[in-house]
Amino acid sequence: MASTTVIQAGAAPARPAARRPPPERSAALVIPASAFMLFAYAIPLLLLLIASVRTPGGISIMPFVDFLSDPFNWSIIWNTLRIALITTAVALILGYPMAFALNSAKGWVLGLLLISLILPLSVGVVIKAFSWQILLSSNGIVNLTLQALHITDGPIRLIFTETGLVLGAVNVFLPFMVLPIYSVIRLIDRDLTSAAACLGAGPLTQFLRVTLPLSMPGVVVGVAFVFSMSVAMYVIPGLLMGDRFQTLAQVIGRSYLLLRNESLGSTVSVILLLIAVSVVVASDRLVRRLRTVQ
Amino acid sequence: MSDTKLLETTSLLPVSRRSFLRGAAAAGVVAVTGFPNIVRAATKEIVVGGAASHAGWMESIVAPRFEQETGVKLLFEGTRSTVNLQKMQSNKDRPYLSVVQMDDPVMIQAVEEDLLEKLDPGKIPSMSNLRDSAIHMDGMWVNYQQPWAGVAYNTAAKPDGVASWNALWDAENKGRVIIPSLQNTEGMWTLLMAAHLETGKPLGEAQYEIDAAFKKLQELKPNLLSIYTQLTQAFNLTAQGEATLLGGSFSAFIMPQAAKDVPVNLSAPAEGVFAMPSGICKVKNCPAPDLADAYIELMLGAWQEVLAEATYSLPTNTTASRPAGMPDVAPFAPDWKFVSENRAAWIDRWDREMGV
Repeated sequence: MASTTVIQAGAAPARPAARRPPPERSAALVIPASAFMLFAYAIPLLLLLIASVRTPGGISIMPFVDFLSDPFNWSIIWNTLRIALITTAVALILGYPMAFALNSAKGWVLGLLLISLILPLSVGVVIKAFSWQILLSSNGIVNLTLQALHITDGPIRLIFTETGLVLGAVNVFLPFMVLPIYSVIRLIDRDLTSAAACLGAGPLTQFLRVTLPLSMPGVVVGVAFVFSMSVAMYVIPGLLMGDRFQTLAQVIGRSYLLLRNESLGSTVSVILLLIAVSVVVASDRLVRRLRTVQ
Repeated sequence: MSDTKLLETTSLLPVSRRSFLRGAAAAGVVAVTGFPNIVRAATKEIVVGGAASHAGWMESIVAPRFEQETGVKLLFEGTRSTVNLQKMQSNKDRPYLSVVQMDDPVMIQAVEEDLLEKLDPGKIPSMSNLRDSAIHMDGMWVNYQQPWAGVAYNTAAKPDGVASWNALWDAENKGRVIIPSLQNTEGMWTLLMAAHLETGKPLGEAQYEIDAAFKKLQELKPNLLSIYTQLTQAFNLTAQGEATLLGGSFSAFIMPQAAKDVPVNLSAPAEGVFAMPSGICKVKNCPAPDLADAYIELMLGAWQEVLAEATYSLPTNTTASRPAGMPDVAPFAPDWKFVSENRAAWIDRWDREMGV
């Protein structure tokens, strides 16, 4: 029976190669998007890179040396990375099971879950940040709940803390963690976990040896998305932490908008860009490696 | 025979259509570049730059008054002071703004970059009625009003108001104080008052004692709920009772809200209040110089009291009456040149010393 299935599968007619568009025609399809990206992204990026090394004495890396030789600036880099890492980790912890819930849901429940995940994306970041400010206030629902559950005796300060910032950021970025993971695990063949069970694997072993490795490409993409966005977030820290918490994005904004220091702004922009690109490149390599292993 | 040739040969004009179009384009260029005064003389509008938050009263009060007096349309472009400065820089060779209203520290930058034309008292007679503190750099710009800055408070938490700036440092207000960032213009007031409280010197002398100011500000940190860059957010937190005191806040923003029964009001503490910078200047080589003078004269004249009442500010014209409810004090205006020269360094120090 099994061999029959294999033969039938093998006998399935392959799509005729002649019906595929020739490579040059496929390449033509990307020309509009490429042209747009060239003018809207590549050229401005090149100008940014030039501005970051342009000094009164000519081209030099001294702006980078000056910025990175100041210990205070390292604390800003650390602030930026720490919040991005924590936000990404919390989003992963919350988003991973949610992706499985989506995968197992059907009918109107699936629709409801997807709407509840995607619809909040249409609400602006500023509105979300202000909403969290209300929720986290002394008389807000979070403090009232903590007191009702006798976890705290009185209101605790949550607004303008890193906890509040992470909560707000996770709220904004969670869909970007859930959707890539969901798109991967919905393609996992459920027969694989059944086969593992037949071979004696318990639920935990099935998850750790089968499901988790197969879902990793989605996890890596989700982590890359959320980290890239949270490392560069500007509005959310400004509203939920105020001016006492400096991140690279805020230094960039201030350099251009207030200090009119194009050199500092472009230097910090390039540093932030390098951090984000490093994460994306590392994620891409990890995905390729996982595919090779699988 | 081509279609073009056919059109040329059948045209009623004694020249070809192409030649005619070339001639018309050339005439247009000559009209615009060769006879600018003729074109400009026909100008029936003036473009005024200013703060985005001023758009309401500019469009409902000032523009109709100006249009009524001159018959000229006033177009108001509202944005940040630094953006106004950038507009003036990027259009220096051919300005389209005639008058700009912006913060005094930015005016200093505009003067240094030779973007402003000195105001002529002969063409703007009301300049002679201004308080001395409202005329800057020998008339490069002036103040058309002075919103005053003190300490805003939640009226439920502080029903008696705020008698002293020292209240910001009181232990009873731990975690309940918000102050502006030094990035904001009003952020200067807490810094300067800290210098005054630390040194005991008058504000005029204390404003140069910045080390003392930062020393005093260190003692404020336990009381800080936040340092804001968005005034609306800080105001909302004060109205909700999350914050009790809002240091350095100013009348033009707080008092209209208080009039709507929002539980926030503004006190003028005993140590003094500050004059929010509301500068007005004439752009160098502007397209409508005579209209610019007429507009500035309007903003500085005795009519100023109407505007001051609407904007909850103090008039700078000594012949204009003080609106009801305004404190009978002379607000302190700092040495903006000193501020401008040092502000970037102070902001850097502020970040390092006032951070979480």
